[in-house]
Amino acid sequence: MEKPNMMESVEPCSDQYSFKTDLRLNAWLAVAVVVYLATLWLNSRHPDWSPLVRGLIALTPLVPGLLYIRSWVRFIRECDELQRRIQSEAFLFASIGTVIVGAAIGALNTHGVPTAMFTHSLGIGGSFMSMLCLWSVGWALAKCRYK
Amino acid sequence: MKNKLRELRATREWSQGDLADRLSVSRQTINAIETEKYDPSLPLALKIARLFKLPVEEIFEA
Repeated sequence: MEKPNMMESVEPCSDQYSFKTDLRLNAWLAVAVVVYLATLWLNSRHPDWSPLVRGLIALTPLVPGLLYIRSWVRFIRECDELQRRIQSEAFLFASIGTVIVGAAIGALNTHGVPTAMFTHSLGIGGSFMSMLCLWSVGWALAKCRYK
Repeated sequence: MKNKLRELRATREWSQGDLADRLSVSRQTINAIETEKYDPSLPLALKIARLFKLPVEEIFEA
């Protein structure tokens, strides 16, 4: 079995580091970002297209997003039990945190407080961004706990 | 949960990395168990007991 990149030794060129594993893990995120930017560009250039087509285009980034989640699930299954726990705690932190951030933005919008670029909700891009930032914080916290 | 993993490992002169390789886990997992910050799962505890040829309750105590 291919050895996963353990979080304690992800430095490039270390014995356990595998670029292929990292590429396989994050390729769908890169695709999701490119597709998301492409959908923003397409929908802004063609406001005349039907709502159905525009809606389908807007939801397209969810496909690589779901594939990205699948690659993370596979990665976590390959990890050992402590790493699995650290990842689970980080994802739980990120998920609950994103719900709270989304609710806070909703509450601020309801009361007329401007929230810069998130005027209606977090949206797909904001949710991905929030998940990524909060996952990093959750991962660092969990890693410190078991250090 | 208290355990004697560090002492047992020391008697065999294994590093944390050696033990981690024998158990197919990361070195961080061994360190977390030894410092009692993480309780291993039952399958891993049984694997440790089998490796040291000791009953589980002699290695781990609640």
